[in-house]
Amino acid sequence: MRRGRPSVDGSVAKAGEADKGAEATFALAPYDEMLGPKLKVRPHYAALADRLSTLSPKELAERQRTLERFFLLQGITFTVYGAESSTERIIPTDLLPRIIAAEEWKTIETGLTQRLKALNMFLADIYSGQQILMDGVVPRELVLNAPSYRRQMQNLYVPHQAYANVCGSDLIRQPDGAFAVLEDNLRVPSGVSYMLANREASKRVFPGTFRGAGVRPIDRYPDLLLTTLKSMAADWRPNPQVVVLTPGVYNSAYFEHAYLARLMGAPLVEGRDLVVHDNMVYMRTTTGLRRIDVIYRRVDDDFIDPLTFRRDSGLGSAGLFNAYRAGNVVICNAPGTGVADDKAVYAYVPEIIKYYLGEDAILPNIETFLCREPAQLSHVLANLGRFVVKAVGASGGYGMLVGPHSTKAQQAEFAAALKADPDNYIAQPTIQLSTAPCLIDDAIEPRHVDLRPFILCGEKIVVTPGALTRVAMRKGSLVVNSSQGGGSKDTWVLTDGKDLEP
Amino acid sequence: MMLARVADSLYWIGRYVERAEHLCRLSDVMLTATLDRTEAATQVARIALAAVGDREDAAKARNPYEAALALVLDREDHGSVVSSLSRARENARQVRDQITTETWERLNIIHFRMTDPQAAKAFAGGSQAFLHDTIADLHLFKGAADATMSHGEGWRFMMLGVYLERAQLIGALLEVCFGDKKRRAITDHMALTSLLRMACALEPYLRVYTADMQPRFIQEFLLLDEDFPRSVRFCTARIEEHLASIGRPVETAGLVGPDRLAGRLRARLQYADIDEVQASGPTAFLGAVLDECAGVHKAVYEAFVAYPLEQRLPA
Repeated sequence: MRRGRPSVDGSVAKAGEADKGAEATFALAPYDEMLGPKLKVRPHYAALADRLSTLSPKELAERQRTLERFFLLQGITFTVYGAESSTERIIPTDLLPRIIAAEEWKTIETGLTQRLKALNMFLADIYSGQQILMDGVVPRELVLNAPSYRRQMQNLYVPHQAYANVCGSDLIRQPDGAFAVLEDNLRVPSGVSYMLANREASKRVFPGTFRGAGVRPIDRYPDLLLTTLKSMAADWRPNPQVVVLTPGVYNSAYFEHAYLARLMGAPLVEGRDLVVHDNMVYMRTTTGLRRIDVIYRRVDDDFIDPLTFRRDSGLGSAGLFNAYRAGNVVICNAPGTGVADDKAVYAYVPEIIKYYLGEDAILPNIETFLCREPAQLSHVLANLGRFVVKAVGASGGYGMLVGPHSTKAQQAEFAAALKADPDNYIAQPTIQLSTAPCLIDDAIEPRHVDLRPFILCGEKIVVTPGALTRVAMRKGSLVVNSSQGGGSKDTWVLTDGKDLEP
Repeated sequence: MMLARVADSLYWIGRYVERAEHLCRLSDVMLTATLDRTEAATQVARIALAAVGDREDAAKARNPYEAALALVLDREDHGSVVSSLSRARENARQVRDQITTETWERLNIIHFRMTDPQAAKAFAGGSQAFLHDTIADLHLFKGAADATMSHGEGWRFMMLGVYLERAQLIGALLEVCFGDKKRRAITDHMALTSLLRMACALEPYLRVYTADMQPRFIQEFLLLDEDFPRSVRFCTARIEEHLASIGRPVETAGLVGPDRLAGRLRARLQYADIDEVQASGPTAFLGAVLDECAGVHKAVYEAFVAYPLEQRLPA
């Protein structure tokens, strides 16, 4: 294959450009997914780079438009509800796929399987004998005072001890090329529908390159999800009735709820369709009430049952938790899993893996400072400009300070918040996330990306050979969350090469 | 198996889509007819407006373009085409997993065209083309639904909505044209032709009755024709059919099942005699038909959607 010159902006080596002055010494050049040392194209990106060199900016822009139109027509939008009217927007999607070599994925897969196994064992322990707390491996007050800890879950039977059935862990690639886990999402992780939709779109944009690359298929996800959910009730129900519980159209992730329900063939229900009678959960159909066995809930813990949790919630069904406790329905993911994806508990995950499995973590954590420890707090306060400081309870990229990108005034404000409530904050050194080529205004430029694979856990653990790659669309920005202007990319996990049909 | 809320949404999608198509057609006929500045043309405009509930607004009839524009694109008006289509689409979004992607795409395309900020400009640039394209797209929507959705409970609820709405709209149109309240009978050939166009009935009518435009024949055709898909009789036959396939809801004390009401309605149309209808005056007959349509609508709602729980709890 002829080696063309990739039309990539060679500013990759100027990473850390966003850092100023003294902070620059701490920032290493980020790892670029496509370009290796001396700007040589990495082998697994070769085919794509070749293809790109044959396309003019105009042709690329045209393909980007095709992509966006596909999303708009399908209704893959999120709605921004204003006072008077609502506007629909597509989450920005970049047409250039992010490619991961087969070897690298093996590590990710085994690492994530190990991690979710340990986290589910941790949850089972916390909600029964609490042995790990007795042994002092994790501070007791950290877990029991966490807002996501649900004492209602204490001693409640969960089939297969699979508390978190769907897990989305966020991975980042550090400047040295190794993957690390940035955080786990064990409550209501989302993004799968974008992973699937991006794949469908990507096949239309680069069909030839896709075929030649040997990409592992991910379209079995809905099927695997359904099997996982059914396995949670299979021990006592021959053909369990699964439903997807959504907060409704006004939720920004509604598209995903409907998408998954449709692809699984499961009814999409809202709280108002449910009736709990005699500790059994039913849905209102045209011909009467029909029993439900497994609920894949996309509603937060707080809102699923006004009798057990928030009383003002209209999104759940009164008595749902009692039916769960009675063993007549299974809620996936179980309430209370947030205790294991708490940002402060995160720092202890390597110890958790060691405790339950006797193994070292295959995927490392990022160095984390817990501000609840006085020594660590003073270190963080003294070096605020270097750290990313996050509020333990927050998500979506809110409530965080990105030290190197912040002003002195913002740092002072944050320092005050830290001193007022140190238990609520953790800090991590600013990592230069790896960059991947994106089409920005008709040119190909590097942007920071992360990786969110999805792991399913029912009777067994399955890692989908694909992921959602999130992109920080603003130049130099490290914030990839969609609510803050992030976008996404299709992710190609390549096969070994040996298993390909001609 | 269908959630009650979903059945309700699908039913309303059917109604709103049918309503939108009818309003587009009324506007189109009104605009075309009033290109001739004759009295018959004004009469046609008044009929169109009366059929949508705007009675006795003579001033509006003299500005057919403004009236049509409002009828199609006024978002403040709950009865306009854009409002109906927005509601249909919002309902479709809520039951997105129940309609196929092909069906959804059709509705989504129409919605974007209607709510585009340039829509009024497009309408001004060529109102006939605009309306024609919208009607064509609505046909595509129904075609996609017919060709790609399983003809199970969901599709049947949608078709139930379509036919109930159609029966009521044609019935209302006939009432406006031939009812007792009409002060002057419609005799002008152009006016009668326009009336048939409003019901999308001109060409089928010509094949049955030739170019002989008689009010009596028109009433007979739009009310009682067995084969014409927009006649009230045809609609009531389909309503009964779809309800029978949906299945009987649980018997509830004190409530007449919708299938029984639909059966009675269909029989009324099947065995009606045009001479008897004319003799007693169309208003009486149409009034009864429209009331029974409303009765079926209510019964469907009470039997399948808003039933009291106490009677359905497992023993």
